[in-house]
Amino acid sequence: MTDTPAAPVRVLLVDDHDMFRAGVRASLDAGLEVVGEAADVDSAVREVQRLRPDVVLLDVHLPGGQGGGGAEVATRCAHLPSEGGTGEVRFLALSVSDAAEDVVAVIRAGARGYVTKAVDGHELSAIVRRVASGDAVFSARLAGFVLDSFGTQSADVAVHDDELDRLSAREQEVMRLIARGYTYRECASELFISVKTVETHVSAVLRKLQLSSRHEIARWAAARRLL
Amino acid sequence: MSTLLPTPGAPPRLPLRRPARGRVVGGVCAGVAIHLGVRVAVVRWVFVGLTLLAGSGVAAYIFLWVTVPAGEPDAVARALADPARARAARPNERPDGPDQPRGDGRHPGRAAGLRELTSRLPLTDIAIGVILVVVALSLVGSRFGWRVRASWLLPVLIVVAGALLAWSQLDRAQRGRLLAHAGGRTPIGVVRILGGIALVALGALLLVGQEARPRDILPSAVAALAVLAGAALVLAPWWLRLITDLGEERAARERADERAEIAAHLHDSVLQSLALIQRSAQNPVDVVRIARTQERELRAWLYEDQPRSDTSFAADLKAVAAEIEELTGVAIDVVSVGDVTPTAATEALLRASREALLNAARHGAPPVSLYLEAVPEQVEVSVRDHGPGFDPDAVAADRLGVKESIVGRTTRHGGTATLRRPPSGGTEVRMVMPLDLTGAPVAGTDPTPVAPHPGGPR
Repeated sequence: MTDTPAAPVRVLLVDDHDMFRAGVRASLDAGLEVVGEAADVDSAVREVQRLRPDVVLLDVHLPGGQGGGGAEVATRCAHLPSEGGTGEVRFLALSVSDAAEDVVAVIRAGARGYVTKAVDGHELSAIVRRVASGDAVFSARLAGFVLDSFGTQSADVAVHDDELDRLSAREQEVMRLIARGYTYRECASELFISVKTVETHVSAVLRKLQLSSRHEIARWAAARRLL
Repeated sequence: MSTLLPTPGAPPRLPLRRPARGRVVGGVCAGVAIHLGVRVAVVRWVFVGLTLLAGSGVAAYIFLWVTVPAGEPDAVARALADPARARAARPNERPDGPDQPRGDGRHPGRAAGLRELTSRLPLTDIAIGVILVVVALSLVGSRFGWRVRASWLLPVLIVVAGALLAWSQLDRAQRGRLLAHAGGRTPIGVVRILGGIALVALGALLLVGQEARPRDILPSAVAALAVLAGAALVLAPWWLRLITDLGEERAARERADERAEIAAHLHDSVLQSLALIQRSAQNPVDVVRIARTQERELRAWLYEDQPRSDTSFAADLKAVAAEIEELTGVAIDVVSVGDVTPTAATEALLRASREALLNAARHGAPPVSLYLEAVPEQVEVSVRDHGPGFDPDAVAADRLGVKESIVGRTTRHGGTATLRRPPSGGTEVRMVMPLDLTGAPVAGTDPTPVAPHPGGPR
């Protein structure tokens, strides 16, 4: 992964469950400093603007605001410079939800990654650091969502690198490996590329997911909402 | 009414409903027959017989038609007996409800039956009803020595036909309770109402203005219409209020139903699991297993569209993963992309996947990942475990038989299976099963034709 910065990574916890916030706070390791907590959309926006943390751990389902949950927080606080470093405030979505539209909504609102709440403290700390350094973090499930919406067939492969609506062949491969449960490091050794290159691909996919107007994303999320 | 009918005892009686299947006019006879447990033909003859008795059969029929709700008796009975299954049974309760894509997709047989029904209804409805009424009226008339005059009979018939047309619309609206509420009134419904009104108006005019000339009828018709319009104007607010109240009441009932359903589900599953967890608090392995099982169930219930078991390979595979998880207590992360309809080839793949999962859970190290990627041409399943420190030789020896069963099973159906050891550790089994577009297996890397020995030894 990436090297730990000298100063601790400043983290804001946003979740409406006290127990969960307390659990996360206790499980994060020493290199991370929890600078604040928030329990709903409005207080989260206020705290983000006041504290300018490096990483916001953001629950997808939050009360308050316009009812947009975590996605609304990410949208309202987009592109804020963080206080300590030179980077922006970055969002990492944490959710128990498996619903595609929840996950995709928060990613498209600008979150740098998505992990399920089942993740253990050590892993979560590593992921937070990775997000703080500007990388994207994909879980296997998010990679599955991406493949589902962008398509897996050879006809779905982008010819040009700048196509937003399709993944490149390499990006598709990386997504497949992540969906299979490979870590970034394992992807790298599998594809004979560096971890940094894997991260570049993942970031590119994240950008496409955020910027693509590919109609399948909407259609596919809509299809899943018909429960 | 029903006391006149034969009542042989069938102790657990199905509720009285008018089923969609097997109906000729309004489903009354079929419903009564199912309710009483006698043959439909018997009930029909009883009604015909009663009709000869001063037309009481027709009156009974119409009464039941209006008062008995439509629905499938067995489904209703099931729903009543088991509220947890009400969700599954409810679509049958409103066979003419709005065309929900899910409902249609899940009950193809029912949808076909309905289409047949709607194309048949208007003709039989009216024809049989009119004939019965004519017979009844003429019988009643002749009994009382009342000479039926054509100038009376024709208008009355027209009125009756119009009323039937309009009432059949009511029946329809009643059957699909949501139909009017959702604004899904079909053009055919409007046509029925308008046609019914026109026929009734025409019949009434002919009846009242027996010998009058058209020139005299017109002003009185206009006057009658004016009175009707005035009455409508006065009654409109009340009527609108009634409609809104009805809608609100209905929405409240639907919410209550939904809450009851959720409560039933939570009671059946979540509360039971919590009780189990409390009881086995001293055994962490059990607690984790129970919690995990419950989590999976709840997730499936909340977030997933439950497809029928024989239509989704992804659903089958998830079920297998759940089974292995339960069996071994090892968590399996399932990621699936796309889906296909199960075939013989995917069935083999499913069994091979089960072996691979069982193996990964028993001999590999968690986390175990299951990945499915399905496109119409092929299905790929990958099972991966992450063993940081294991003895490759021991595992290789251990897995020889399994390897045979996984690889053998897959290749027999034209697929390929590879056992890989990624440099970073763990084991990955990748199985690819090609499908042709009709769903049957095609020759892949295996030159042996598939059909002559399905599942046979190689």
